[in-house]
Amino acid sequence: MEERPFAEKVPRSADLNEQPLVILELIQRLKVRDVMTTELLVAARHTTLREVQDIMKQIKISGVPVAENGRLYGLISIDDIIRALEGGYIDEPCQKHMSTKLVVLEDDMPLSFAISYFDRYRYGRFPVLDRNQRLVGIICQRDINRTLLVELTHELRRMEELTGGSSAPQDDYAGLYFFREFPVSKFDFENAGKAATTIKQLLQERSFPARLIRRVAVAAYELEMNMCVHSLGGVLTCQVSNGEVEIVARDTGPGIADVEWACRDGSSTANDWIRSLGFGAGLGLPNVKRVADHFEIRSQEGEGTRVRAVLVLASENKPKEESQGSGGG
Amino acid sequence: MTFAEVVAAIGGKMVVLTETADRKVRHVVGSDLMSDVLLVDEDDMMLLTSLASDQVLRTAQIVGATGVVIVNDKPVPDSMADVARELGLSLATSNLSKYEGCVAVYKALNGITT
Repeated sequence: MEERPFAEKVPRSADLNEQPLVILELIQRLKVRDVMTTELLVAARHTTLREVQDIMKQIKISGVPVAENGRLYGLISIDDIIRALEGGYIDEPCQKHMSTKLVVLEDDMPLSFAISYFDRYRYGRFPVLDRNQRLVGIICQRDINRTLLVELTHELRRMEELTGGSSAPQDDYAGLYFFREFPVSKFDFENAGKAATTIKQLLQERSFPARLIRRVAVAAYELEMNMCVHSLGGVLTCQVSNGEVEIVARDTGPGIADVEWACRDGSSTANDWIRSLGFGAGLGLPNVKRVADHFEIRSQEGEGTRVRAVLVLASENKPKEESQGSGGG
Repeated sequence: MTFAEVVAAIGGKMVVLTETADRKVRHVVGSDLMSDVLLVDEDDMMLLTSLASDQVLRTAQIVGATGVVIVNDKPVPDSMADVARELGLSLATSNLSKYEGCVAVYKALNGITT
């Protein structure tokens, strides 16, 4: 197997693009951790191949990770066992015969990423690591099929409630779901703000309350500009589900040394050039906190920053008559 | 008063005329700091700024402004006019300073002629 960087972006295959919209949204929304098996039976490096074969028989699986104290060392597949039986070394420790150059997934990756990997590598399973590179699960295609079926059933139920015979009122947004992802590049001022504008339009098209749209747009715009001005680039996502709008900004660095300080009014590291463009007054993160019902920030110097702002639909009034033109909000 | 009427009242020049020019103006915000503009929680406001950049328009669109007036007679880049059309946001210029512009808009909105 060939080792791949974890954060590598795999282009969507043509098949993926042809999926129905509901499935596309599901595989973007669900993370690998939502799908993977977490109850793992693992082998140690000194475990014999025969013992691994017994594990495979016992729980009817075709691959067993070799790990100790959460650290992944390799993988034994059914092919390795067959070769061991044929070669007469079934009682040797798996350390000598396991595959060590592994393709792995991270638990925080979207499910679409995992599907691309199955499409690309044709392996039956992938070990899943967390951000600290510890083994936390394993994912196979059966896990994906099972989760998608469950989620599709939920989705169908929601759609039925919205469209037929349900007592749910029209202004009940609890059944609405959509997910969008926008890449944001460093210093790309030509495109900065487009993601927030698109998010605002999407909410307007769905007749969300005007005040909520304004709050979401401000949060998305501030986070988008922050990534453009301060980060090496990242991704802004907007997810509407369960009566909430969630905006997440995740960048690839350089991280914030003092998060508490950065969240205070007027704290800024922006230079004069950024200020000349009308930004960098240190009001961005405080402004996001102001408009959001829930606000979280996670950052470490030298690594990336993740900011999550949640705006709850129930905190707003029902849609009111617009007294202004269609461009308002 | 609509945005178009306010622009005419302060002697401004319309650069991009869209549907938002027909919206009523009830508040005016004068700022070159876009984060300050995002703090404003008023509907039906117009923005006066001496900053002639695309981000001014995107900020104005995010807060649902009726239109933007670039003060100090600053030239409007072609790209900015394009973005205004793309966003459907009215854009005007004025030879007044930002402070004078805010005073002029205030007078126009309140029927003060002196």
